[in-house]
Amino acid sequence: MGTLQVCGAGRAGDGTNTNVSILGQVLKDLGAWVFVWREEVYSNIHTRDTAFGLRAAGGPVYGPDDAFDILEAFDQGAFLDWTGEGRVPPLARLRQGGVILYDSSPRLEYPNTGHEVRPEQVEGEVRAKGARLFGLPMGRLAKERFGNYIVRGTIALGALAHMLGLPEEAFVRRFARLFREGSDLFRLNLEAFRAGLEHARSEGWALPDLRLALSAPEGDRRQLLLGNEAVALGAIVAGCRFYAGYPITPASEVLEYMAEKLPALGGVVVQADSEMAAAHHVIGGSVAGARAMTATSGPGFSLMQEAISAAGITETPVVIVVSQRGGPATGLPTKVGQEDLNETVFGGHGDFARIVLAPTDAEDAFYMMEKAFNLADRYQCPVFVIYDQMFAQSTYTTPPLDPSRFVIDRGKVVTVPLNGPYRRYALTEDGISPRAFPGTPGIYTIYTNTNEHTEEGYITEEMVVRKAMVEKRVVKRMDLIRRDHDLPPPRLHGPPDAPIGFIAYGSTYGPVLEAVERLAGQGQKARFLALRTLWPFPGREVRRFVDSCRVVYVVEYSAGAQLRGLIQREATGPMARKIRSILRYDGRPMTPGYVLQAM
Amino acid sequence: MAAVYTPQKPLTAADITGPGAWWCSGCGDFGVTAAFKEVVLTLVNEMGVPLERIFVLSGIGCSSKEPEMLRLNAYHGQHGRSIPVAMGVALANPNLVVVDFGGDGDTYAIGMEHFVHACVKNVNMTLIVMNNQVYGLTRGQASPTGHLGLRTSSTPEGKKVRPVNPLKLAIAAGAAFVARGVSWKRKELAELMLKAIQTKGFSLLDVFSPCVTYHREPGYRGSGAIVDWYRLNYVVDIQEAWRAMREQVFSEEERAHLPADYDPTSPLAPLYALRLIEEAARRGKEVTGLLVMNPSAPTLEESLGASPERAPALVDISVEANLERYRRLLDELR
Repeated sequence: MGTLQVCGAGRAGDGTNTNVSILGQVLKDLGAWVFVWREEVYSNIHTRDTAFGLRAAGGPVYGPDDAFDILEAFDQGAFLDWTGEGRVPPLARLRQGGVILYDSSPRLEYPNTGHEVRPEQVEGEVRAKGARLFGLPMGRLAKERFGNYIVRGTIALGALAHMLGLPEEAFVRRFARLFREGSDLFRLNLEAFRAGLEHARSEGWALPDLRLALSAPEGDRRQLLLGNEAVALGAIVAGCRFYAGYPITPASEVLEYMAEKLPALGGVVVQADSEMAAAHHVIGGSVAGARAMTATSGPGFSLMQEAISAAGITETPVVIVVSQRGGPATGLPTKVGQEDLNETVFGGHGDFARIVLAPTDAEDAFYMMEKAFNLADRYQCPVFVIYDQMFAQSTYTTPPLDPSRFVIDRGKVVTVPLNGPYRRYALTEDGISPRAFPGTPGIYTIYTNTNEHTEEGYITEEMVVRKAMVEKRVVKRMDLIRRDHDLPPPRLHGPPDAPIGFIAYGSTYGPVLEAVERLAGQGQKARFLALRTLWPFPGREVRRFVDSCRVVYVVEYSAGAQLRGLIQREATGPMARKIRSILRYDGRPMTPGYVLQAM
Repeated sequence: MAAVYTPQKPLTAADITGPGAWWCSGCGDFGVTAAFKEVVLTLVNEMGVPLERIFVLSGIGCSSKEPEMLRLNAYHGQHGRSIPVAMGVALANPNLVVVDFGGDGDTYAIGMEHFVHACVKNVNMTLIVMNNQVYGLTRGQASPTGHLGLRTSSTPEGKKVRPVNPLKLAIAAGAAFVARGVSWKRKELAELMLKAIQTKGFSLLDVFSPCVTYHREPGYRGSGAIVDWYRLNYVVDIQEAWRAMREQVFSEEERAHLPADYDPTSPLAPLYALRLIEEAARRGKEVTGLLVMNPSAPTLEESLGASPERAPALVDISVEANLERYRRLLDELR
């Protein structure tokens, strides 16, 4: 068995996240490459349907596959659209001959066990799929043996461990890390795990066909982290010591990680009174000399547009992380979207230089943060790191990450007084004025201004100065940026003579890559250009790629086809027949099958 | 071209004067600027504050042209947004003396969110608001502090929406220092400014800085008359207000427990100050002077672990210096 895909489905509070995450951690420790994602999470703190997905394989995985091998059902919502609002329950994605491990306990009074799990209500579908059913009385065991429903998921883990032949020690090590070895919670979970395992053993349950052939104990050195954590960690290693943010899904994990880690490194984290404030705090922090960052999503990003414009004219380096969700307005707070690309590339009033980077996966994001901060300092402009909820809140396995690869370049900075007073916007040959930080002895005329300004920073509306400043800030700057070798180049996959092309950015990297591989398996040659810099737009590479293909599919989570629009505007022109869209805007994760079917 | 200031010779007002010429003749903002320059000279020449550590900010409005009148490290921001930028500067480098200049529209309308949270968070900075009841730069519409009945281009029948009271807001939100100055008394204003800057935590100095062009009151015509309107009708000194309240509002029994002079450092000062403002308002007056001074509350910098010795802007961010700590962070994410 090369890969295994598991879905844990229940209601919020059932512990599906913990259940699936621990299984993922154990599989990773045993040598698998693991990807864990939020298959279905509602923007709702109480008990709506919740499903987490886990994919494990012998090599790197960057996204979900279409079908689940195993469905863990903690609630009838795993099988049925019980609200009748058109929801597609996880059972629909169970593969032929798949496995259902469900809670066979009678209806319990615990608030989260609102629905007795009754596979007989979907008997037809279960039979048609040839599914193997395993009824494990998780709730009853949890209540009678442990007096605590929270271990339902751990009991299920025990049963799965036995059925998949996973060693108990691997789970014990993870419980020890999660719950602190020897603590009550540790003992409780260990006993619950063993109860599940014993039950499966006594029933003689086994899934020999689903056992992964795992090796490589070096799995222990690899990283297992959320996209948002990779970004936060990369920012820290890049020297970010000032973070301001406002809680918003799916960017909050960046704030939380920073809040936990930055103070010990001599940095500060401000939870701002709004995204408007957060972005302006970041400007202040940067003007004072710190490497500064904020992260947000759609609604918060709109509030930041004014500050972004200010960073543009004041030539202040800032790094702004845009973790997209379904829009517009409040839209789909917990679900995936790529609808803010236009606002990132074109937002903020006025013309100014900017850079937009787009990581494809967690490893890419970690190292990309070094470039983001160096580019911001070098060109004194806002740098955006744009991605989406499926990247932000999914757990990736990466090779061991190496902080010693980071090199910090603060760009032009003056630390001693020059001849004559310091001029913040001095006109230089390359158009970049050296920065100075307040507090530098002898320099007291650092005037940063959001009005159009003279070289000294004072307000001006004079024609000649205005023109020189715009040329310095926008025209010359973008020319310089375009030539910078630190801009992450697109990744190109597939043979050069392939007639079918795909272009995408962000979390669709994995699904599109696999779609290309599957086409190759069917004897169809396809190529994939994964964009990692979106501004300045890599027009030449995209044009060359499009020219080399007979048809190009642009894959994105946007009904407005924003990436396709950018490609047409910046690289190819309309080419309406040649360039086609594969869009998904229902807030659900893209899969290889979705891509292939949409073709 | 002005010479670079070197600490060998005393700083003069000319050294820190910018090229700006923005205000109408007679504008109150000139008084504020003159007082501030005096304070900078005192800080640098007498108190040993390095000039390069003074950082001035502003938003948008007539008052926000302040940095244009000066030659200092500065940030001239957007409407209502200088406070969050100032907070960022103060947090990133607590060695800096951060003074933000705003107007009443800038601070109490479009910047209100930031104003209240800056008071609550107690950032170590000083906010000087040049309060003139109108939007001067856009030709005189009523501002949030405009009094009831004020006739302006946007309130042709007189202002019907009640005014914001910034002092009450700042006190209620826990600002460390709350005072009201007037632009026509430069010496007192400079004293208040210095105190505001020296007080640890968030300091609000609201200054009545009359608009000679757009603020019109019936019966007060001609240049300078609006200052008379303020002096004669609108302001009351805090000690005078205190004595009046002590005599007229409190009973004899209560009076026995009350000090003869108002004490802004008393733990009860916030309560008395709110009462004073209320009582004065009943008579159509606004209190001037130092209302609250309480440097004991922790600042945002202290709460977040930043200090002059541990400034995020100055910390060593080289990979070599931090490598072991980075490796530990990576070990946690396995």
